[in-house]
Order: sequence, then structure tokens, then C-alpha cells
Amino acid sequence: MSIQTAAWLVLACPLAGMLLVALGGRRWRGTSAGWLGTAAIAAAFAFAVVTLVKLQDLPADERHVASSLWDLANVAGVTIKLGIYVDPLSVFMALVVTGVSALIHLYSVGYMASDRGYVRFFAYLNLFVFSMLLLVLAGNLVLLIVGWAFVGAASYMLISFWYRRATATAAGIKAFVINVVGDIGLVLGSLFLIREMGVLDYGSLFAGVQDAFPKNDATLVAALCLILVGAFAKSAQVPLHTWLPDAMEGPTPVSALIHAATMVTAGVYLIGRMHPLFEWAPTAADIAAIVGALTLLIAGTIGLVVTDLKRIIAYSTMSQIGYMIMGVSAAAYVGGFFHLMTHAFFKALLFMAAGSLIAAMAGEQSIDRMRGFRKAMPFTFGCFIVGGLALAAFPLMSGFFSKDALLFEIGQRGGWYWGLYAAGYLGAILTVVYTWRMIYRAFWGEAVEQAEELEHGHLWHAPHPTNPATGEVEDTEVGFPGPEHHVAEQTWQMKLAMGALAVLSVLGGLLFLPFETLEPLKSFLDPTFEDSLVQHPANDTLEVLGIVATSVIAVAGMAFAYRIWALGEGRAGAWQRRLPALHRLFAAKWWFDELIGILVVRPAAWFGRWARDTFERLFVDGALVGGASGLVRAGSAAVRALQTGLLRSYAALLVLGLTIVLLYFLIRSA
Amino acid sequence: MTIHLSIVLWLPLAAGVLALLVRGSLARWISVLGALATLAYAIVIVADYDVGGGLQHVTDEMWIGALGIHYKLAVSGLSVVLILTTAVVFLGAALWSALRGEPGSRPGLYAVLMGLAQSGVLGAFMAQDIVLFVAFFDLMLVPYYFLTIVWGGPRRGPAVLKLFVYTLVGSLLMLVGAVATGVLAKAGDGGATSFAISDLQQSLVSSGSQKWIFLTFAIAFLVKMPAFPFHGWMPDGYTQMPLAPLATFTALLSKVAAYGFLVIALPLYPQGAIEFQMLMLTVALASILYGSAMAFTATNTRLVLGYSSVAQLGFIIVGIFALNERGGDGALLQSVNHALVAAPLMLVVAMLAARAGGSEDLRDMGGIATRAPAFAAVFLVLTYALLAMPGSTNFIGEYLILLGVFTSKIVVAFVAAVGVAGAAVYGLRLYIRAMHNRTGPAVGAREMTAREALVIVPLMLVVLALSLYPQFGLQRTEHAVKTSLVAVQDAAHDRGETLAAIGKEER
Repeated sequence: MSIQTAAWLVLACPLAGMLLVALGGRRWRGTSAGWLGTAAIAAAFAFAVVTLVKLQDLPADERHVASSLWDLANVAGVTIKLGIYVDPLSVFMALVVTGVSALIHLYSVGYMASDRGYVRFFAYLNLFVFSMLLLVLAGNLVLLIVGWAFVGAASYMLISFWYRRATATAAGIKAFVINVVGDIGLVLGSLFLIREMGVLDYGSLFAGVQDAFPKNDATLVAALCLILVGAFAKSAQVPLHTWLPDAMEGPTPVSALIHAATMVTAGVYLIGRMHPLFEWAPTAADIAAIVGALTLLIAGTIGLVVTDLKRIIAYSTMSQIGYMIMGVSAAAYVGGFFHLMTHAFFKALLFMAAGSLIAAMAGEQSIDRMRGFRKAMPFTFGCFIVGGLALAAFPLMSGFFSKDALLFEIGQRGGWYWGLYAAGYLGAILTVVYTWRMIYRAFWGEAVEQAEELEHGHLWHAPHPTNPATGEVEDTEVGFPGPEHHVAEQTWQMKLAMGALAVLSVLGGLLFLPFETLEPLKSFLDPTFEDSLVQHPANDTLEVLGIVATSVIAVAGMAFAYRIWALGEGRAGAWQRRLPALHRLFAAKWWFDELIGILVVRPAAWFGRWARDTFERLFVDGALVGGASGLVRAGSAAVRALQTGLLRSYAALLVLGLTIVLLYFLIRSA
Repeated sequence: MTIHLSIVLWLPLAAGVLALLVRGSLARWISVLGALATLAYAIVIVADYDVGGGLQHVTDEMWIGALGIHYKLAVSGLSVVLILTTAVVFLGAALWSALRGEPGSRPGLYAVLMGLAQSGVLGAFMAQDIVLFVAFFDLMLVPYYFLTIVWGGPRRGPAVLKLFVYTLVGSLLMLVGAVATGVLAKAGDGGATSFAISDLQQSLVSSGSQKWIFLTFAIAFLVKMPAFPFHGWMPDGYTQMPLAPLATFTALLSKVAAYGFLVIALPLYPQGAIEFQMLMLTVALASILYGSAMAFTATNTRLVLGYSSVAQLGFIIVGIFALNERGGDGALLQSVNHALVAAPLMLVVAMLAARAGGSEDLRDMGGIATRAPAFAAVFLVLTYALLAMPGSTNFIGEYLILLGVFTSKIVVAFVAAVGVAGAAVYGLRLYIRAMHNRTGPAVGAREMTAREALVIVPLMLVVLALSLYPQFGLQRTEHAVKTSLVAVQDAAHDRGETLAAIGKEER
């Protein structure tokens, strides 16, 4: 099998899985659709491994393979091929995407078992993986945009999966529209590139950029800033992040897969993929790095005060993506993508564990209501601990090595990058605190009713399933939360997936140890990034400093959180009273939703209403066509009388009018 | 093989007349057979089309010799895919009517009117004489008046009158323009009067005449599309017309107007096109923004689609008046795309209404997706195509349009991009409020029936197939679009404007 065939098969497996599952519909009994979907993704993973092996067989300087099937468009000097681009970066992404997705599919086989939308769920999930793979394997910008939009669409469908909930459909359309804004940014950015360079495929773009533009040319910066709009929208960077917390309306496996491990990293991939352009326009790269730094801080502060379990993890995701965006924009490529991978492991794990916990709470997501689940759910508790340690960069966990590598590479650049470096460590403090706040509050303290029930081997049932966001009684006809939707630690599929991710969260760090002793990831990604113009001078002092600082923050922050949230009640409240303005700012999520509402949503809605109620009524129906309207009023009686003879009247009028004009001109011309 | 365009042109009408002679539902099936035969012939035309360009399968008879009016038909790169699209859409509508047994009364009359409509549309796409074009342009409207009067909604009287007045004004203006073109061109070169487009291209009318004649055609086309602010007839017309004819109307009649710009207005009145480029682009942008805003406030599903057409046609105008090849190619592809998406979506309205207690209002819908996964999937695919999601052929069309105008008037591209986001809002809003959320009071959700599927699914598959290979359309239009822009480029040159001002072509 050639490398091209293997890569195309990576794409084909989830597509075929989606079609089979969808076309089979209700003919899939029991969990068969789930297993088929999982098998499709596992096969894609296998082909991704084959691609990897084939790629490593090539000499290092030939490790970029393009392959195309046919031209989507080839007109007026624009060529858009249905083609893929296989290089270490895209294979790396394909491996992460298919690997984590396969585990999440496995988890969903158990998690969604009682859902009435089971088949639909797996069709969507496979479609999502196909879209994501299209995004990472695409060989040109337009096909990337296609994958980009498909990912957005699949994400929309999964967020709105329980579509009887008004909150779910509202969150879905919000996510979709913000993502379309990102798509538009990408489209306009690509228009700049094709206007100036005439090409859209990666190979030509990378090779031609230095000839087409002077360094840091304004046009190139503008083009890349537009492309960044796309990256920010998809990766939930400020100010285009507001859809991500709302996206938690989707089923928990969706949050794990799409809104933590894969889709939201697309922006990171995009910047890394386009790094020859970004390095040639450092202003754009710097803007991206600053936005990433702001996002990681803002999201971290919100994570400190949110009480919805899934939203805490969502803000944490946003914050960690901020790290990655900052990293790849500041040319910390290996660190950035390393963190992308480890984050996929531990964040997917945390979401899965959260799903288990929420199921035990019968859908309730507020950590205000959760206490003392330690004994009731030991396995989930263990997963939370492992995921939390990795997220908080506890020494020797995967997140420790990746965050350290990322920040070290930024620090190596010196200059104003020290600011980013400092922001990264400030963010690390926030990360540790919000992580342990979540865990201590949910698992320490006196067990709540639900936890006690579970300790006695029963699942707690809510009297009426309600939407936790609104308190509305659920319409359970379409699926969740059906009365039997209780999956806390119950199925082996879920446990297996969580266990595998827990192991990866611990051991994932081995791919990239500090001090260049063992850096398989670096040497693997090297062919993609060897053209980088940025030097990373060795600096052992900085490396040691970083490791020490990360360790101290991880341990001290954990102790601090323990004092506040595990020992005794009321200490958190005391902190809130001490800093009321800050608490208000964080709790209001920095008022981003309100700002977007005032600046965009309300004016658009107002314009629509004005057009409908005022303009359309007065201008179009009245003033502008007063003649026609008047004629309608005057003639309506006549029309009713004429109905039978209308054929003649209209035809006669038409012919008469035409004839008069025709004759006039012909007489004049004669 | 020799292809006689007159045969395919009048075949639908002939089938309709035949249907008039028989009784009952047989009439509907004769109509289907007629549409099927037309489609077969259209496929032959497309298969036989030489991608190299030029007028093909020309039929040229003198029609009114004294006036120099020709009965001249041909297939060009501009029309070849649109002819196929026309055949597809009308077959869908005929099949829809036959399978549902609609309309219940006078099926023969219905069949002959639909046949006349199809012949009118095909004629407009084939006509190579501007008076003949104007004749077909008016002829194709006549059956819609009667379809509305006989089978339309309760307020059909005023609706038809409004439609009639609007289009009559446009048509008369256009006729004046057409006649003036022939007369003035003759005055220019002193030969015999001819209205054949190829003859008129040889001797363009003077620069000043080009400008005012351009406007007469432009207004007629903008009314027919409709573009803002000429859409006053649209709300009433769309709500009162029966749905299957409306599907063909919204899909195709607006495209005749877009086609008219490329086949007549740009080649014959290039000075006007350049002079009023910004005006046309402004109208287009206003249509995009206004249409989008109205589409996300309207609650009548037909009007959501109607206003979305205003916005989508705005994009097509943008592409045409980018005045470069990329824009033109995009506009033509988008004409095909929009026709193929708008027609099945109009039929979806009927399916929604059948499940929402007969109401076509979004406020009475909701939750229809329950127990209808196939219907929901088909509707969602069509919605995605409507909002030009990347991956659909509509996206390729929109991309080329934006690229075209990006190179000539960059600001327009940025404003038009707002309309892309607008499309996402109104498209998904339509889908969500119809299919998702809580179940509406009178909603009885049920799966697509086999009869509905037999029409909707093939139309969706056509959209999907074209999405996989938009080049199918583009490779046939490329040469013709280039040709139709030659006059504009020459005129720009004469005006001392460099081509860069009109549009920097590929380097």
C-alpha cells in the first residue's frame, strides 16, 4: 500500500462508517451502530499508523507527499484540487484525532446506550471525525476551509443533539454562526493569498511566499489576520470564544471529543501549518501570540468562579488552547503540538470522568450540589485525580512536560517574549487552583444524597428530569435525558476508554523529555518545521528554572486550593468578599456575551425588525410603489369580476402595450 | 447527431397540449413524460456540447422579415448547464404534482400551463435574438399568472396584479431598449435591421445609447430577480402562488434575469455596464443585506426562502458586476446551484406544512424532526447548501464570486461577506424552528413518504453530485464567460481605464 492510498483510507473509513450507520438507520439494533462507528475510527487509526510508518520510510527531506483525486474547480486561473498533503504534522494530527476519537467512540458505546438518538449520534460522530481528518489532511486552503466548515457543522449537530431543548438549539446556532464568522475570515484571507500569489496549495504557498511579499508586508499581515479570525473562532480565543461554554449543552462525549480534544485545536494546527507565512509576517504571529496569552489568562480567571462542572472544564480548555496558540505563534512548535497531544489525553479523560459524575447526579452539573463522591465513585475519582494532576502540570505527569516545553521554547526567544513567558506561568497558577477547586468540591466533604445512594449500590433518580440550565422539565421523547440514562461507572466500555486515557495522561510525557535526552517527537516533527526562521538557542539555566517553577506552582497551588476548598466551608466566600469587583468581573465572564450582544446581535435584530415593520410596510408597499399598491386597491374589485375573462384581458393588455412601443420605434426608424 | 433545438424547446408545451386532451390524472403523467423526454434531450445537448465554446446547434430562421427579427436559437456555454437545470427542476415539479395528485382540479389546464412555462424558460435560454428573448421573457410569465389565479392562495388577485404590473413595466422598458438597439445599430452601420445578438455585437450602439439602454434591461432583470428595492411583488407573489409552480419560478425565472445580464447587457452595452458598475454592486449589496435581514425575521417559510433568494441573487449580481471572469464564472455556477437548491426547498415547505397542520408559518412548527430522521437529514443537507457551506457547490460559486469582486472592488467583497454570515443565521433558523425545539401545537411529525422522497431525494443527490464536481459546470461556462466579457474589457480599454481597475486577472 502506498502512502497516498493509506492516507486516503484514513479519510475514507469514517466517511464510510457515517454512511453505513446513517443509511442503516433503525435497522441497527442495540449497540451495533456504536460498535460499527467505533470500528470505523479504529480502522482509520490503523491506516494513520500505516501512513506514519510509510512516511518514516522516506528520507527526511522528502517527507511531504501531495496527492489529489480530481479538480473541484479549474477556471480562470483558479485551481482547486480535491487533494491531500501528508507530512509529519498532518500525520501527527491524524494520529491524535483518530486515536482519541476511537476511545471516545468506545466510551460513547456505553454512555449513549439508553439514548433514543443512538444511531444518529454515531452517524454525527463519524461525520465529525471525517471532517476533522479532512481539515488536517487537506492539501490546499480551500479544502481546509471545507473541512473547517464541516467540523463546524458536525459540531453544531452534536451540540444541538438533544434538539428539544431550546438551550441546546440556541447554543448550536450560536456555535455555528460564530464558526461561520471564522470561515469568512479564512475565505477572505485566502482571497488575499490567491490574488497575490495565484495559488492555494500548501507546497506552492510555502515555496512562493518569500518571493511574493517583502517581509512583514502589510497585505500579507492583513491576509494572515483574517486567517487568524478563523483560527480564533474555531479555537475559542477571545473575543470569539463565547460559543464554547454554551457548547457544553451537547452530550458529554461530544464535549470530550470536539470541545476539548480535537476540533478546538484546529486553530493551533492552522497556525502551525501556515508557519512559513506567519514567520514571514511576524506582526500577525505576534498578534496571535498576544491573543493566546490574553485568552489563557481570561479563561483561567473565569474557571476560578464558574460552578457548572462542564463549564469549568470548558474554560480550562479555552485556557489551555490559549497556551497552544501562544506557543505555535511564538514559534514554539514542538512544545505547542506536544501540549496539544497531552491536552487531548487528559482533557478527554476529565470530560469523560465528568460525564460519569454528572450521570450519577442525574444530569445536575453544578458543583454547588456535589460533595463527597470519593467513596461512591472510586474509579471516576481516580480519573479526576490523574486528569487533574496532568492538567495542573504536576511533576512527571504528561502535562508537566508539555507545558514546560512550550513555555521554555517561548522563553528561549527572549525580548518581549518574556511577557508571554510570564503570562504562561501566571496562567499555570490559575490552572492549578481551578483544577483542584473543582476536584476538592466534588469529591471531598460530606457525601450528598446522590453519592450516598450510589455507595449503597443504587442510582439516584430525579423525580422529573429537568434541564439543568433552565430548570424546565425535559421533553424526553427524543432521547436524553431519558429516565434510564444512568451510566455512572456502570459500563466496561466507559471504564476501558477512561483507563486508557488515564495511562496516556501519565505516560504521554515520555514522547518529549527535557534536556534533549530523548526527543522522539521533536525529531519526528522536524521535517515540517525545519524551514523555521526562528532560532532556539540552548539555555540550560532557563530549562532548570522552568522545571522548578512549574513544580513549585503545581504543589503550592494544590496546597492552597486544599486549604480553601477541602478544609472547612466559608473560606472561599471570605476571598470573594475580599475582592468583590474582581469576583464580579470573573463571574460575569468579563461581559463578553453582553458586549457581542450590544455590538452585533442587537443591531442586526433591530435592522431585521426595522426592515420588516417599517421599511417593507411603508417603503416597498407604500411610497415606492404607491402606483402599484393603489392600483391593486382600486383594481381588486375589477379583478374579481374579471377572473373568468382574465386570460384575454391580460394578454390583450400585454400585446397592446408591446405593440404600441414597437410601432413607435419602427415608425421613427423608417 | 443533429440536434434540433426547436424540438426540445416546444416539447414541454406539446406534452402539455396533449395532456389537455386527456382526462384525469393521466394528464399529470403525460406532463411527467414530456418533462422526462425534455430532460433526456437536454442531457444529449450537454453531452454533445463542445467545451471549446461558441454558439452550437444554431437554428436561424427569419421570423418577421420586415422588422429583421430572427427566430434564432442556439446553445452557448452560458446556457448549456442552465438548460439542463431547467429540465431537472421542471421534471421535479411535474413528478411532484403527479405523485401527489395536485392540483385536484383541471389537471389538463395545469399541465399545459406548466408546459408553456417550461418552453418559455427554455426559449429565453436559447434565444439569440434580443426581440425573441424579450418575447420569451414575457411569455414565460404568462402561465404563472394563470397558475396563481386558478390555484393560488386566498389573496391571489392583488398578488397577480402586483406581479403583472411590476413585470410589465420591466418588460416594456426592456422592449423599448431592445427595439432601440436594433434601430440605432442599423442607423450606425447602414445595413439591414437585425436583432440577432451576433449581428448587434458587430456594431455596438453609441456609448451614450449604451448607457440608457443598459438601464432599461437592468431594471427589467432586477425586477425579475427580484433585487432590492424592486422586490415589492415578491412577498405577495410568493405567498399566493401554488407551491410546485413556485418552486420552478423561484428556481429559474430569476436565473433568466442573471443569464440576461451575461448574454445581452454586458456584451451589447459594455459602456453602461462599466458606467453603472458601482450602482449595480450597490443594489446587489443592498439586496444581500436587506434580503438576509428580512429572511431572519420572516416567519412564513415561503418568505424566508423568498427573501433568501433576494440575498442569493444579490451575490449573483455581485459576481456578474465584478466584470471579470472569476466573478462571471462564479455567478453562472451559482445560478445553477441556487436553482437546484431553491426548488427542492420550496417543496420542503409543502412537506413541512403537511406536518404542521397545514400552516406554513414557523411559529406553528417545531419538533418535526422527531420520527423523521431521513426527512431531517435531507432538509439539513439542502439547508447547508443554501447557506453555501464550504463543501457544497454553492460555496465554490460564492468563492469565485467573492474572488472576482475581491480583485476588482475589494470593499464590496468585505460587505458581501457579511451576507455569508447572514445566510448561516437565516438558514439554520429556518431549520431549527421548523424541525427542532418543542413540538408545535398542531404538529404531527412523520417520516418522508415514498412519494415525497422520490422527488426530493434525487434533487438532493444532484446537489451532492455537483458539490463533488463543480467543474462539471465550470468547464462548460469558462469559454463563454470569457467571450461575454470581451466587449467590457475593450470598452474599459477605450475609456482609458486599465484592466486593473476592472479586475486584475491571473498573473
